[in-house]
Amino acid sequence: MSDYKALQEAVLKGDIKTALEQTQKAIDAKDVARDVLDNGLIPAMDEMGDRFAKGVAFVPQMLRAAKTMQECVKLLQPLFAEGDITSKGKVLIGTVKGDLHDIGKNLVAMMLEGAGFTIVDIGVDVSPDKFVEKVKETNPDIVGMSALLSTTMPAMPETIEALKTAGLRDNIKIMIGGAPVTEKYATQIEADSYASDAGSAVAKAKELLGIS
Amino acid sequence: MNSSANFYRPLTPANVKRIDETARQILKNVGVKITDDVYLDKLAKLGTIVDKDNGIVRFEDGWLDEMIGKAPHRYTAYSRDGKNDLHMGSGEVYFANGGRVFRILDMNTGGYRLTMLRDIANTAMLVDKLDNIRMYFIACQAHDLKPEFYHLNDFFEAFNHTTKHVMGGCTDIDGAKQVHALASMIAGGDDNLAQKPFYSIITNPISPLTIEGNTLSIIEYCTQRGVPITCAPATIAGATGPATLAGTLAQLHAEALAGVALAQALTPGAKVLYGAVANNMDLRTMELTMGSVEMGMMNAAAVQLAKLYDLPIYGTGGLTESKRPDIQAGFEKNFSNLMVAMTGADLIHLAAGMLDSGNSISYEQYVIDNENIGMIQRILSGIDVTDDTLALDVISSVGPGGNYVMEEHTVDHMMDQFFYPTLGVRSNFDIWEERDRPNMLKGASDMVLKTLRDCHECGEGVLDIELTAEIEAVFPQIDNI
Repeated sequence: MSDYKALQEAVLKGDIKTALEQTQKAIDAKDVARDVLDNGLIPAMDEMGDRFAKGVAFVPQMLRAAKTMQECVKLLQPLFAEGDITSKGKVLIGTVKGDLHDIGKNLVAMMLEGAGFTIVDIGVDVSPDKFVEKVKETNPDIVGMSALLSTTMPAMPETIEALKTAGLRDNIKIMIGGAPVTEKYATQIEADSYASDAGSAVAKAKELLGIS
Repeated sequence: MNSSANFYRPLTPANVKRIDETARQILKNVGVKITDDVYLDKLAKLGTIVDKDNGIVRFEDGWLDEMIGKAPHRYTAYSRDGKNDLHMGSGEVYFANGGRVFRILDMNTGGYRLTMLRDIANTAMLVDKLDNIRMYFIACQAHDLKPEFYHLNDFFEAFNHTTKHVMGGCTDIDGAKQVHALASMIAGGDDNLAQKPFYSIITNPISPLTIEGNTLSIIEYCTQRGVPITCAPATIAGATGPATLAGTLAQLHAEALAGVALAQALTPGAKVLYGAVANNMDLRTMELTMGSVEMGMMNAAAVQLAKLYDLPIYGTGGLTESKRPDIQAGFEKNFSNLMVAMTGADLIHLAAGMLDSGNSISYEQYVIDNENIGMIQRILSGIDVTDDTLALDVISSVGPGGNYVMEEHTVDHMMDQFFYPTLGVRSNFDIWEERDRPNMLKGASDMVLKTLRDCHECGEGVLDIELTAEIEAVFPQIDNI
């Protein structure tokens, strides 16, 4: 078994180039893909998780490490055996109709992706019809909607209505967020969950799908 | 003219230049994304470099300077009674409350609740009575209204509860049209309104470097009717701007100049404020921190950047992360209000009433901040040095061992030299005990109750009752409370 120290350091630094080189080196040395993942990448992410929990690593570092790990996993992808890796779930996410603000939505997407979810980001100013179309197309577990403006919030219940009409509502969980959005509003419009920030969005998504 | 304004300088003149040059490169090479084909065509005709495929507009130096050259260096934001006309660009520093929050710390319950239409009426009444808050910003979202009539009702309540200048945002052109029609009725016609506009409209680009077509249509609609505007970037260092303060300032400056230039291209001579609402992320948690100390530094630096072009600025200060009017709120608010004021901002918005990183207000905080701003105004007015204030004559006549208490010179100056707090507790210990240990927050709470009660007792609304009836007949959507 190879020593994955250099790989781990690259993941912790968020140095994609070096991490990919190290992954390729392991592949060339005929390492088992599962070992690279279990003994190289995952311990590095665990270490990052610890550092983050202790407050010595910040969100940008965690996101960069997660992104680096994802790139390495892509490289390993063709070599995995059946069942080696599983996604935590698929989240389709967008900013609702009439609203072009996307930093909140992007942060949530990055955090979820870092936590192992598969993300389908459908952008900003997404109409209820487009949500319906993309849900049909990508079959997500969770649909996330974001709004920064109180005037665009009503597009959330409109979208939920459109999903109901299309017969898709029962197959998905709906999560909403954004500065003017509240827990109470989520209940009122019959969304399944509300998250007040990107960090709690991860916890809420896991809760919705019953995973830890 | 405030003699101590223009005192704080977070940037050296050379660094102001470097940031400005970087911003001009951003506008020339990176450009601004405009999300509307009609405006892309229009802006191409008006002389910008348009990349239609990518929806990007770029500004050559010459064009930028020509457009910014059309912007007025001075204009007046009028009040309706003439008592609080604010002269932007005159060197005066004005403070205003701040805008469109979702929650309020409710003094009756001690807890937070969503804001309602009555909170707009109440905050407008408070601002009307608080001398140091010189214009009224639509303070909060009325959760008890339907979105299509937010602005009509917001502005009606504001106009009906203060005669000070009113500033607020409109999320769409319909809202801007409704507000204009309403204001025009109050002014007695479009011409009167255009001559002395008593409200201004706030718009925002979306950082980084994006302006919605909708925003441009609001800017065009308002400026062509003489209504002043700002297009104020709320750039978030570490998220929608670089993590470095200098980088965020360069981008914010580019966005703010783009707003000014586009307004001038659409309406030459448009009354516009260079806008700056710089803030940052806490990168440990990705929480927005409007109350950070860097927010104050950046918004002060933005004043220097606006003044490089001699443009009046819509500045920002007075925010806090705290959820209560407490120690943290006191010093966070004071840092930024003082820093931005001492750099010489024309208008400092969000300066009063805000809590919770710009998401909440409290009535008590309005009156507390009013007092704090009074102290800042005292600082700005500086130490007046004249023969009379040097007081050599009176020092000579009192001589060694005397005192100044009974001197005419003392009586002459006791009102013009000192700031006298209304809420700040000043008394010797025994009296403080006798008075049942007063504190500022209790005083603020009493003052809020008294102000609102007195306002209600002297009758609802400052608009003429017949005019109100006419307005209600024309706009049945107004939910007069």
